[in-house]
Formats: sequence, C-alpha cells, structure tokens
Amino acid sequence: MIRFENVSFAFAANGTAPVTVLDKVDLTVGEGEFVCVLGPSGCGKTTLLNLAAGFLFPSRGRVLFDDAVVVAPGPERGVVFQEAALFPWLSVLKNVEFGLKRKGLKGSQLKQTAFAYLESLGLGAHAHKLPVALSGGMRQRVAIARVLALEPRVLLMDEPFSALDANSRERLQDELLRLWVTNRRTVIYVTHSVEEAAYLADRVVVMGSTVEGGIFADMAVPLTRPRSRTDDGLLAMKARLRAVLATQPCCIQPLISPRAM
Amino acid sequence: MIFLRPVQRFIAYWKPSVLPLLIVLTIWELAARWVLALRGVAFPTPWTTFVRLGALVGGDTLSGHPLGVHILNSLRRWIMGFSIAATLGIGYGLLAGRLRGVEKATAGIPQLLLLVPGLAWIPVAILLFGIGETATVFMIAIAAVAPVAINVLSGIKTVDIQLVRAARMMGARRHILFFHVLIPAALPSLISGLRIGLGTGWRVLVAAEMVVGTGSGLGYAIIQARWTLDYPASFACIAVICAIGLLVERGLLGPLERRTRSRWILEEGPR
Ligand SMILES: Nc1ncnc2c1ncn2[C@@H]1O[C@H](COP(=O)(O)OP(=O)(O)OP(=O)(O)O)[C@@H](O)[C@H]1O
Ligand SMILES: [Mg+2]
Repeated sequence: MIRFENVSFAFAANGTAPVTVLDKVDLTVGEGEFVCVLGPSGCGKTTLLNLAAGFLFPSRGRVLFDDAVVVAPGPERGVVFQEAALFPWLSVLKNVEFGLKRKGLKGSQLKQTAFAYLESLGLGAHAHKLPVALSGGMRQRVAIARVLALEPRVLLMDEPFSALDANSRERLQDELLRLWVTNRRTVIYVTHSVEEAAYLADRVVVMGSTVEGGIFADMAVPLTRPRSRTDDGLLAMKARLRAVLATQPCCIQPLISPRAM
Repeated sequence: MIFLRPVQRFIAYWKPSVLPLLIVLTIWELAARWVLALRGVAFPTPWTTFVRLGALVGGDTLSGHPLGVHILNSLRRWIMGFSIAATLGIGYGLLAGRLRGVEKATAGIPQLLLLVPGLAWIPVAILLFGIGETATVFMIAIAAVAPVAINVLSGIKTVDIQLVRAARMMGARRHILFFHVLIPAALPSLISGLRIGLGTGWRVLVAAEMVVGTGSGLGYAIIQARWTLDYPASFACIAVICAIGLLVERGLLGPLERRTRSRWILEEGPR
C-alpha cells in the first residue's frame, strides 16, 4: 500500500553540505496494517512520515502509494500532526467541514457528516467552540475527527498524543484502537515511546540515529487484540523493543546551548 | 446593577492611563512655570489650555472656523488618506503574497518607502497636486501604505507551515489555500499593519496641514494660532490631537488586535 524504495533524503542546508537524514530506506506497509515507527529524537521519523504524506520528496529513490509515486499531499493520506494544527479562526465543526467541502459535500449533508464524526469522538457538545477554547486532548480529538472525515486510506500520525498527559494519552490510544478495529485502515504511527508502540502496533519499525540513517529493525508484535497494558506479553514486547533501541547510539543533542556555557 | 457593567469595564480599561496622564500634566505644569520664571514667557499651563479648549468648544473660532470644523476636516482627510493606504497596502500585500513574480519585482520597495520621513513627501505632494486638500491626502496615503503592505505580506509569508500542510492534506488547492487559509491566518498581521498605518497617517496629517496650506484642520489651526500669539489654542489643538489618537488606538484598534491575536494564536499566553 505504501512503499519506500531505496529512499534517501537530505535537507539542503544553505552553504553547508546537505544533512542526510534518511539513507537507502526500504519499507513496505501493507493494507490494514498498524505500523509504529519507533526511534530516538532526531532520527528522521517525522521526515519519513512527511515523505509518505507528500510534504517532502526523496532526494533519491521513490515513495509509492498504491503503486503510484507520491507527488502531493491528498485526502487519501490523512495526517494527524503532533500539535493539532487546527484552523484557529474556524469553529470545531467548521474545521471538520473544511476537508468535506473539498470533497464536494454541501448543505445539511456537510453539516451532518461533520457532526457525526465529532460525535464519534465525543465532541458533539463542543462543535461550535473555537479551538482556542479546547484542551490539548480535545484539540487532538478534533484533529482525528477531521482526518477520519476524509475517509483516508492511510492514517499518518506523528506523535499525535505525545503532548498530552498520561491519562488522556491512554484514553485516546484506546479510542484510536476502537476506531481502527471497527474500520481497519492502514496506520503509520510515529512515536518515541516503547510503551505506545508495543500497545498499538501490529509491527514496529525501529529507526536508527542520523548516523545510521535508516531502519535497523522491523519487528512483528505477536499479541492478540484487545490488549491489556499490564499483560505479561506486552511487558515482554516492551523489554525487547527497549533492548533493540539500546543498541543504537542516542542522538539527542545536548539541551544546553553553547552560549549558556 | 447590570447596567453598571459597561461603566465598570470602561473604568477598568482606562484606569491604567490615569497615572501616566497625571505625570504628563505635572511635568507640563512644572515646565510652564519654569519657562515663565526663567524667560518671562507665558507658556500655557494645563489649566489655561483647558480653559481655552473650553472656550473653543463653546464656540470661539480659530482662523475663521470653529474647532469642530477643524476636527472634522482633519478626520475627513485622515480617513480618506488612510482608506487609500489600506486599500493599496492590502491589495499589494495580497498580490505579492500570491504571485512570486510580483513579490520579486517589488522586493524592498515598501521597506524603502518606510525609510522616507513623512514630511519629506511635501515637495513631491506640492509638485504633484499643488497646495491644498489633495496634497495632504496624498501625504497620508503614501506614509501609511508601507506599514500596511509590509505587514500583510509578511503575515502571508509567515503562516504556520503545519496549517498549510493540513489544508493541502485535506485537498485544498491554490485558490482555496490562499483565500481560506493564508488570508485568515494573516489577519492578525493585517490588523497590526492597519493600526501602525493609522498612527503614521495621523502624525503625517497634522504635520502636512501645517505646511501644505489646507486652510483648515488641526495642524493648520496650531500653526495659525502662532501668528495671533494664541498659544493656549495651539496647545488645546495638540491635546485634541492626542485625545483622538489615543481614543482610536486604545479604544478601537488595540482591542481589535488583541481580540484576534488571542483567538488566532492557540498557544497559552497572557490574555
Ligand atoms: N528543515 C530542516 N532543515 C535541516 N535539517 C532538518 C530540518 N528538519 C529536520 N532536520 C534534521 O533532520 C533530522 C531528522 O528530523 P526529524 O524531524 O525527522 O526527526 P524525528 O525523528 O521526527 O525527531 P523527533 O522525535 O524529535 O520529532 C534531525 O536531525 C534534524 O536536525
Ligand atoms: Mg518528529
């Protein structure tokens, strides 16, 4: 369904040599699969997702969606961003209607469809509020509703719940799984949390640091659904993922800026 | 006591301005006394100015017109000049934001305009339009157009890339993207541009009226009062100018700007 073929990507830096982020990445994500992309900060997870979304284009190799080269973003590949990226000047309902309008829906059908998606995420009562009046978790729900309303073939999610507190994060994870089980869409879900990857994914793709520039482990999650967060199998899976991550040099830059020293 | 709410809000809003006003009045009073003592010149005090203002409001004329006429003429020129500036500035900002070619061809021109002091346009205005009304309006327009244009364009150029990406992901193409994402996202910048342009226009207006010979207007009245040694009237006009500027700025555009910003910007911040 989504295929990376020998994809390399470098950010062209002004003046200096381009920074290679991905190097010869091969990855195939099948129809209906829930794949988590796991890796330390700065290893290129967002870049990978942006390539699939069509926001960025590979320096070498190609990214295919249904055997066609990705040339632009589109509603068949819905993206949920880390920060909800809602239009702050539109009400919650109008935010969801935005994509539906582009699909040609009009009048009462437009309103009802948008509202139905909001209801399915428990946001019916907030439809007429502005995003500014919502909590972070509610905004992220709107972002999900807005993407689901597009009826995308693939969901591309970039650490969608990482800015939330643990409690809302777990609730939204469960909601996401509920929606995914009732309507199996392909999901590529970027995270740096071992916990999240083990709980959500069918398959975890582990990315290395920038130096390695690619994927170095691809592990199936041999757990049945629904899963329990306290299940022994899940704990074992988390331990395995941790072990794999630990073999990689950590590439988190020091937080102290040179000026402060 | 629900009908007292607006009054309370009014008081709360203007209360922070009371102390600065008192400080200004005190310094003014001290300066007036000091000048009188040192140079023997009757520098108008706040009180004499206030009394003269009262008389002017009560019907005294200045250069042949009552104060109200001067105010109305100034306001009319201001609104005309500013409307032209707003139309051209917004039009240019949107066009350059939309068409890369226009942006490139005109790069730096608004910044250049911004560098020209408002009064430097006097010879240009007089050569183009002769002495009078049109020249004044031209000067306001040309001084106020640059801040508007720069703010609109930069507002469009600095729209959060994630919003643009989200819109494109949902199927928005060029036209929709521009009118339904870029323009609304740039609205706070547009409003700041208008606010700055309005202030610039007001300052240039008063100065222009002093020089371009409009026959009426607050600037004209200030400079004419000099010939009759009616300095309290000059001061009264200056006070009126400040009051009008403050009223429009604090009473109208400031709140409008804050409102859009607090709505548009989702990050938590002081409201
Ligand atoms: N616009 C850019 N220009 C230059 N380099 C960039 C740019 N964006 C990202 N990079 C670099 O590319 C690398 C990968 O970035 P990316 O955002 O894909 O990482 P990530 O895995 O998503 O990290 P995180 O978990 O922190 O979100 C980083 O080392 C970063 O420094
Ligand atoms: Mg990232």
